[in-house]
Amino acid sequence: MAPPHGDGASAGGRLPLLLDHLPGDLPDFLDRRLLFFGGKGGVGKTTLAAASALGLAARRQRTLLVSTDPAHSTGDILQVQLGSEPRAVVADFWAMEIDPAVEADRYIESVKRRISESVAPRLLDEIERQIDIARVSPGAEEAALFERFTKIIEQEGEGFERIVFDTAPTGQTLRLLSLPELMSTWIGGLISRRKKVTAMGRMWRNVAGSSATEASEEDPVLRALEERRARFHRAREALTDARMTAFVFVLVPERLPIWETEKAVGALSKYGIPVGAVLVNQVLPATPTEEFLVRRKEREAEHLARIERVLGDWPIVRVPLLERDPVGVDALQALAARLATRV
Amino acid sequence: MQGWLERLRRALRAARDIYEGVYIAPYRSTIHREYLRQRDLFFLLGFSDLLGVPNPVQFYTLELYPELIEQFHEWHLRMGMEQAPEGGFRCC
Repeated sequence: MAPPHGDGASAGGRLPLLLDHLPGDLPDFLDRRLLFFGGKGGVGKTTLAAASALGLAARRQRTLLVSTDPAHSTGDILQVQLGSEPRAVVADFWAMEIDPAVEADRYIESVKRRISESVAPRLLDEIERQIDIARVSPGAEEAALFERFTKIIEQEGEGFERIVFDTAPTGQTLRLLSLPELMSTWIGGLISRRKKVTAMGRMWRNVAGSSATEASEEDPVLRALEERRARFHRAREALTDARMTAFVFVLVPERLPIWETEKAVGALSKYGIPVGAVLVNQVLPATPTEEFLVRRKEREAEHLARIERVLGDWPIVRVPLLERDPVGVDALQALAARLATRV
Repeated sequence: MQGWLERLRRALRAARDIYEGVYIAPYRSTIHREYLRQRDLFFLLGFSDLLGVPNPVQFYTLELYPELIEQFHEWHLRMGMEQAPEGGFRCC
């Protein structure tokens, strides 16, 4: 089993897999078909996305949980093996993990297959070489991930009433969600260029008469580009429809996650993506009892033991949790003094 | 009589050729140049990655290769590159 990561909400350990009765109504923020859980790494978005999805399923909503986080801790916290197709886990609850590398390979294969049908054999090797270069270019996996993502929203997710996406840490996710906007603008530019080419081609054939080769009526390039743009357009519609979609931010009450979430909320509204709720994870009890601390300390001891086991080949330094956030030169210097303590 | 008719026909043909050469041909070549220019521009936008210029939609224009590969050769010749550019299709 892979080491657990990203499960910031560690209290309670394993998730209950069978929720028969949940009290009360659905929280408002879960009242949309497409839910995106995002936030800084390590704040517990995977855990809360899985918990929310299970909560929906317990209310008899056919729910699909999709992890797009390359770290893939969803299978780990659910304690089931997940792949790139939905797997039934409990009643009304399916889960899957999308791997950008696998998606990119899959897309490349499909392009190659189509190409081998329509291209002269002497050019085939060259085209394949070119496509392999594109496979390793920056942005390829991201584009492939987005490709799959739109497919899930449009077709694969059809049988589900709710789709909960557990997304990669904020920066990547924001980029992914902004893709339809950027890409459709660029593709739109290509389309208008292509139309000019077609128009000029027609003029040229008119004046040149039979000396110019006749082109077929329909331009396959234009058709492919327009299909692509329509797809981006539909994805954008779905993402910005507040009746259908909500982005749920997860953070812990600490300085950096707050700062990052603040920026991300701004970025999302720039792209018109509705924010459903902000979940603050790992909030301490109103009056922490000694028993609570003791329990936490026990959990911590287990994790520390694991660190010794898997990372013991390297020097390990334990830095204490402070009462206050170490901010400012003085506080950091004080902290530096404690870095010498080896286990 | 026969020779006279033939001469007239030749003269008319010559007049048409002159007309074509003076008026139509420049127009035609202008149109052709513009057509090629538009086509090249489309290539540049869609496949700038072949010239080493980052292309944000490279992944999506992949599927256009089969339609356009035949034109790629003329394109790089017109762009002043005798050989296919490094990193692009080695079409020649």
